[in-house]
Amino acid sequence: MTECSMVEHGPLLERLLAGEFICAVSDESAFRRLQDDEVREQLDTYLRPLNRRLATNDEGSVYFLAWRQLDEGAREQLSRQLADTVNSLLPMLEWLQLVQETLGRDGLAAPGDVLKPADFSSRCEDNQGLRERLERLATDPFFGSQSDQLDAQLKQVFKRLKEHGYLLQPHADRQYFVVTAKIDYLVDLVRFIRDEENLPVDDQAPASQESLL
Amino acid sequence: MSDRDPHALESRLIGTGVERLALLGKHAEALMAGYARDEVPLEGLSTTALNRLLAARILWRPDEQGGVKLAPKVRELIAEMLADETRRHVNADVAETLELMRTLVQSYREARDAGEYWRQEQQLLRLRQEVDDLNGRFADAIDSLWRRLNSDFGFVSRLGDKIRENARAQKQIVRLLDGLELIDFHELIELVGSDGALRKLLVSGLQHQLTQHYTSLREVQRRMVELMARFRQQQSRSRLVAGMAGFLREHPGFVPGNYARRSEVPALVNRAAPLVAAGAAALDHHPDTRALTELLHQLPRPVHRPEPVTAAGAAAPQEDTLVAARQQALKEDVERFYLAVVDRGGEGLSALAYLQEGELAWGEEIWLFQVIAEFQGLPRGEQRAFRLRQQESQASPFNHLRLIHDVSLALRAGA
Repeated sequence: MTECSMVEHGPLLERLLAGEFICAVSDESAFRRLQDDEVREQLDTYLRPLNRRLATNDEGSVYFLAWRQLDEGAREQLSRQLADTVNSLLPMLEWLQLVQETLGRDGLAAPGDVLKPADFSSRCEDNQGLRERLERLATDPFFGSQSDQLDAQLKQVFKRLKEHGYLLQPHADRQYFVVTAKIDYLVDLVRFIRDEENLPVDDQAPASQESLL
Repeated sequence: MSDRDPHALESRLIGTGVERLALLGKHAEALMAGYARDEVPLEGLSTTALNRLLAARILWRPDEQGGVKLAPKVRELIAEMLADETRRHVNADVAETLELMRTLVQSYREARDAGEYWRQEQQLLRLRQEVDDLNGRFADAIDSLWRRLNSDFGFVSRLGDKIRENARAQKQIVRLLDGLELIDFHELIELVGSDGALRKLLVSGLQHQLTQHYTSLREVQRRMVELMARFRQQQSRSRLVAGMAGFLREHPGFVPGNYARRSEVPALVNRAAPLVAAGAAALDHHPDTRALTELLHQLPRPVHRPEPVTAAGAAAPQEDTLVAARQQALKEDVERFYLAVVDRGGEGLSALAYLQEGELAWGEEIWLFQVIAEFQGLPRGEQRAFRLRQQESQASPFNHLRLIHDVSLALRAGA
């Protein structure tokens, strides 16, 4: 490993260490580099003394840092983090469903999709049902809106999703957001919990629909 | 004579063809209305025009009572011209074409053997057209498949429809590939024999083109399968999220196991705590000094420049000077309180009692804070000379917050 090649990865390492998820949307060139085995090995070697290593989700669409050795402190932190994630699970899933219904799509928001708060406010204005669901969601402690104004609620929801790395705002002064692949991580985690806890949640299309094909 | 007849036939064919093609242009609007809807609207079409369109088989009447519709071939032609993927057909019928080509080759040979040059040319022309048609059909089908693929089946909106359309496209690919399989070049080589023109057309030319079609079809097939996997994944994700949200709503108290406490922590759960790579200006590296000096010079100047002293400035002392003055007065009062304890022989003296006694203007809270702060600020040796007792109570049975009501200061015995 030459020093020069590690210098090149400095900004990427810093983002990873800060707890960011790196995907093709959040940083395309870094994500491309991370797909190179050699680069990943270099970074892992660098991260070893910090007790961290590179990790990815099932489909390899996001990279983040994991503990290398799990000591008591790390387990304590992971437990707290898991509890936080579980607490935010329902509001996050409801948001995903709301996006799907508000924008009239039949697939979930996927990495690279563009979301505009303005689209949400116009749909919610002529649909009282959506408006109420958004209100309930925005005032959930996870999103934590204190306002009863639709636009302020939307602003808060988008702000929180940005803070959590699920959305990226390419221009600070323009109100449009891009979905990152951290959403893949969330869906993977949901699937994992479903499998681990044997929850009666089915994700396959019913057989009758298949037989039509 | 035998030579002139076919020529006359040809020119008659061309004449009628031009006339009938012109009908397409002349009635384009009515025809397109028929393309978009179920039937061709008859308003605006005269009886003569309608009869001409029927005779040209541009329109047909499925039954006597029913309306007039576009002929299937015309509908296909328009769909091809518009690349309208909802209505475009893929014609994978190779067997029929092969049969026709065999027949044409036989006629061609007979004409050649009989020395009928014109007929031979005609057969070769038809053969060439059939080969071009076959090529064109594959090229059109492949074009249609790529368009559907690249638009993510954008002509249907529901995921379920996309999945069905993708399955249909994959079946078309299989039929096209099966069609290509039917073309047996050993048979064709045998069929053309030693004839150079036929060999060029049916063997080398066709083989080259079909190899390209085969490669394209394999590629589009691979991509279709990938896209299908993506559609299915999307469908499964959306069902998973809906299902899980439903489950969590029904079971608000649901808590999954603590995966972080397992001997094997699952990979998804292992997310290291964030670490901030902090940095600060340091002067221990000599070459940096200059850079730091420059940075220092580049620092923006404070917005509030020191104001030139004016008469008004003296009359209105600045806010922070006032605060500092009050702070100093408070400190001095507290020092007097400490001295009072010493003067009174070191017996315990309540800070609040002193405050009231001296009729000092400080708020109780600020006074107590300063008394405690003064004690903590004393040098260790002097601190040991005093004893500070806090009179306090617990704020609530549920936490360990304690409220200080008063403090009493005394000199330590023996100090």
